[in-house]
Amino acid sequence: MSFSFDYLIQGFAIALTWQNLFWALMGCLIGTLVGVLPGIGPASGIAILLPMTTVLPPTSAIIMMAAIYYGAMYGGSTTAIVVNIPGEASSVPTAIDGYEMAKQGKAGPALGISAISSFVAGTLGLVGLTFFAPLLADVAVVFGPPEYFALMFMALTLIISLSGRALLKGVISMAIGLMTALIGQDPLTGAARLTFGFPKLLAGIDFISVIVGLFAISEVMINVELKITAITQKITNWMPSWADIRQCTGAMLRSTGVGFFLGLLPGVTPSVTTFVAYDLEKRVSKHPERFGKGAIEGVAAPEGANNATSSAGFVPLFSFGIPTAPSMAVLLGGLMMYGLQPGPMLFKTNPDFVWAVIASMYIGNVMLIILNLPLVGMWARICVIPFYILGPIIVFCAVVGTYSIRFLAFDVWIMLLFGVIGYFMRKLGYPIAPMVLATVIAQMIETSLGQTLLISQGSLLILFTRPISAVFMGLAFLSIARGVWLQVRYKAPEVALGEDD
Amino acid sequence: MYSEVVVKTLKPVDIVAGCFLALLGLFLLYASSMIRVGVERALSPRAFPSAIGIIILICGIGLAVKAWRFRGEDPVIHWPDREGLRIILVNLILLTLYILLMNPLGLPLSTFLYVTCTIWYLNPAKWVTAVVTGLVIGVVSYVVFIELLQLSFPMGFLFEG
Repeated sequence: MSFSFDYLIQGFAIALTWQNLFWALMGCLIGTLVGVLPGIGPASGIAILLPMTTVLPPTSAIIMMAAIYYGAMYGGSTTAIVVNIPGEASSVPTAIDGYEMAKQGKAGPALGISAISSFVAGTLGLVGLTFFAPLLADVAVVFGPPEYFALMFMALTLIISLSGRALLKGVISMAIGLMTALIGQDPLTGAARLTFGFPKLLAGIDFISVIVGLFAISEVMINVELKITAITQKITNWMPSWADIRQCTGAMLRSTGVGFFLGLLPGVTPSVTTFVAYDLEKRVSKHPERFGKGAIEGVAAPEGANNATSSAGFVPLFSFGIPTAPSMAVLLGGLMMYGLQPGPMLFKTNPDFVWAVIASMYIGNVMLIILNLPLVGMWARICVIPFYILGPIIVFCAVVGTYSIRFLAFDVWIMLLFGVIGYFMRKLGYPIAPMVLATVIAQMIETSLGQTLLISQGSLLILFTRPISAVFMGLAFLSIARGVWLQVRYKAPEVALGEDD
Repeated sequence: MYSEVVVKTLKPVDIVAGCFLALLGLFLLYASSMIRVGVERALSPRAFPSAIGIIILICGIGLAVKAWRFRGEDPVIHWPDREGLRIILVNLILLTLYILLMNPLGLPLSTFLYVTCTIWYLNPAKWVTAVVTGLVIGVVSYVVFIELLQLSFPMGFLFEG
């Protein structure tokens, strides 16, 4: 099935119902809030809300979840610019020039250009999603279990090799994620696996408790040590001048390209593309010396890139059923919770659903620019809520969200455990993203490998003899080789890069 | 003064963690061998867990050896100071109590107690803020999750009957 306007228009018809508009707006508001607030990111925000959305129809629920994700990309810049505290890792480069601009009394134009750049790149990214996703889904229809296994294998190796210099720690993080997901009953035989004699472990560990623990709880633990300074600057003039916008047009378009095309790859999260886009702008600029001293393109580029990447992440999610980032992994879990199997068949079996979600994202981007431009002062004030109030509220949300998965206190204990694990992982330089991704796709990997071996009567060679899976396996081994080479070449200690969720 | 107690750089921690992970890998291999196989299948239910055990074993050893042989500037771990450690521990204890008390006291009351006590602990001067925020969140928890969404949270003796 290739793209057709009929489907998109039908999607808009569904997305424009009052109910879906309301949930998109809720998602945009929550997303901006999650973006503004340090200490809670989109992955944990979505994970916490996911169990509670079961009262909604699937389309409305996913519309809201998606809006939280791209909404967070708008919100993250606010605190980065105003108080030099990036709400998300993807806003770290924004803070460099954004905060400089704020210090020069130009916080308003910086916030304005970041919203405009987010809107332009987010919308162009959506156009890319609209055309690419069905095309790729067409390709993916011919995928069998070997191709799927190879694709997921590649996704895991990419996410590890992108987690900075910590190759071994990345692999360990992934392996522990896989282990966590295997605990419980074997889906085929029902035999207990890795339950160590604890009957409670038979039901398995829900990935939501793992994600909420790793992101929300560990982040709160880290943040109780920090103190956030108050905003002193009053923002009155938020509109950038036409000259500013013209000056940034190139940056917006380039960052869209970078953010979108890199964002199609697993492991390339917004926090990666924002740095690439910032760096690119600095290179192409005629006055690279202005960067770091309040260059407005230095704000437009990362803010454009993170929004383009957030749109791009939906392409592999919808067409292959493969998450590229932790937030996408949570959304994938959400889709499965609703009995929707993401992947190429989704466009065939549930076209109304997919196109309604895509259409709602166009609407959401319009909502977000309206919410963000005039209301930016309000969002900036929210981020100064002191952490001693915010922390307990985040923990409350995390506990309630985790408890409502299965109404078991057990899940909340698991959340607490992974909060502590996550805290140590952050302190000791272990990347968290591989663990999250592995936890979510572990079952899919094992099933597809089982089916692959069934087809090939037990031979793994099939992964290399079928052309598509051979390409994926080749890329996977290339990324492993690159990781190992970097290890040998630079004898650096194992420390992961800062991560986005 | 206290800092000598805390391991401040990554190298020794990586060595210890690597050894611990190697042991975990071995333990996983043992645990995988305990899985009932049943009918023969293309992929044995033992295969994946054992493979993970082997990966963790190898990477654990690798991590320890790499850290052992590392001769460069050892990165400093930013541990919290004594004060920070105490804050984190008290917060974890409060959270543990919250989870433990949720069933007997119910969601609204345990939430009120948790939020109030935590804010009060983090900023003792702001006890009014603590009580008010606790009350608001406690009421919200009741209205939104029990009344509105009708999720089966424990209500506690206050709201039962």
